[in-house]
Amino acid sequence: MYTSVVRLQNVFGFFTTVAFVVAAFIAASDFLTERAPIVRTLKTTSVQVVRGRPHYYSSKKEEYAVINFSLDADLSSLFTWNTKQVFVYVTAEWPAADHAKTNATNEAVIWDTIITSPSADHLANIGPVAMKKLRKSAGGKSIDPNRGKLSLKNQRHKYKITHPSGKLAMTDNVTLRLHYNVQPWVGLLTWDQDVDYGYWKALKNGVSKRFKLPAIKEKKPASAGAR
Amino acid sequence: MAEQLLDQVRDVAEGQIDFEGQKLVELLVNVTLALTGVVSFLVGYILQDIKLALQIGLAGTALTFILVVPPWPFYNRNPVKWLQVGGGLVPPQSLIVDEKSFR
Amino acid sequence: MLSGLANPRQAAVQLMNFGLILSTAFMMWKGISVITDSPSPIVVVLSGSMEPAFQRGDLLFLWNRNVLAETSVGEIVVYNVKGKDIPIVHRIVRKFGKGPEAKLLTKGDNNVSDDTELYASGQDYLVRNDIIGSVFAYIPFVGYVTILLSEHPWLKTVMLGLMGLVVVLQRE
Repeated sequence: MYTSVVRLQNVFGFFTTVAFVVAAFIAASDFLTERAPIVRTLKTTSVQVVRGRPHYYSSKKEEYAVINFSLDADLSSLFTWNTKQVFVYVTAEWPAADHAKTNATNEAVIWDTIITSPSADHLANIGPVAMKKLRKSAGGKSIDPNRGKLSLKNQRHKYKITHPSGKLAMTDNVTLRLHYNVQPWVGLLTWDQDVDYGYWKALKNGVSKRFKLPAIKEKKPASAGAR
Repeated sequence: MAEQLLDQVRDVAEGQIDFEGQKLVELLVNVTLALTGVVSFLVGYILQDIKLALQIGLAGTALTFILVVPPWPFYNRNPVKWLQVGGGLVPPQSLIVDEKSFR
Repeated sequence: MLSGLANPRQAAVQLMNFGLILSTAFMMWKGISVITDSPSPIVVVLSGSMEPAFQRGDLLFLWNRNVLAETSVGEIVVYNVKGKDIPIVHRIVRKFGKGPEAKLLTKGDNNVSDDTELYASGQDYLVRNDIIGSVFAYIPFVGYVTILLSEHPWLKTVMLGLMGLVVVLQRE
């Protein structure tokens, strides 16, 4: 019997199918959009090593590297209709103690930021004033690739970095590296890549010059809140 | 009395439609939902606006529900002409016939 | 329903069909588990600590094999902490060393501090074995039903009531 309940079930069933197919197409449309992110500059502006404690009640003293940097990058091609946010992060990378034998490295994030697409602005975790400003910055557009243009001069680190051994001073061959993670509205999560895949080009010039961490600066840091 | 009332409620809740109506419903569901999907993807992709795509999709789906679920009169334009009661043979009671084809 | 009781063969067929559906779902889940090498290859986001990337109710697909490269900094992983039931979805922000012994530190994008507090007491870092998968694909919202049902148990009653109503109003 073809009753209202049966029709309701059938329509809902076909709706889920259609929704799934459309979502698959949206996810696939990512692969047809060119991505050509480039980094123009990524360099350190000040590097220090200070002594500190992991948290206030700890008696353990550790060495912390405090790295500030400048960054000029154009990630605007990552913003399409299916981009929810781009998570941009800068890591410091240095060879581990047994690097010669195992090729092992250490890597730690020193700074990150979330760039939302205008379609996801309402989800951003910011105050009402900043939210208003953010929404205004999109100017009513549904996508805003200009947000992917980063120009940071002498950017303060967000995280002081440390090592489980507590020793970091005089570490050599440290590099900074820019990474990104594109979060879609539906589909695959993608990260920066070293080689080209189809329309997606590798991130160019995303590594800084090698540098060496200095000796410990004998001054008590204002806050040892590196965590 | 209560049985009659329940029967009336059942009639309303059931929302039966005739065979021609069922055919029409099937066609309408397939066409409207598929069209909604295509339009929402194309408009969203061309205007690069995923919110608009979502709105079109949901609006089209809501429209389909409203169009198809209630037993609108135009689904009942071809009522089945049953044979007269007591006119022919009485089928044996123990016969089990597939529900759908029987009704 | 009543016809099923009158005819044992039909009842048996219905029972078999029901069993078939259940076992198919179970086998698919386990099959995906084997392919992804993850005990729980699809998870629903339960907290807002990764906002705005993931909201509560979003569906995440996990991959737990290191085919081309090791699990590294920047990946969003789901991990278990000893003594806690609920797996956590956070991003790796530090990695020291290489291989199964590498020390990993995680942090939620929306959290101010890293996860040291969330780990078991005395545990400062995760190792690869604590991780049950890295997020590789995402579908928004569809898992929200499970959150609704677990947080508002009265909804289950409402659903049962609705089903009962449908049965009452349907003619046999």
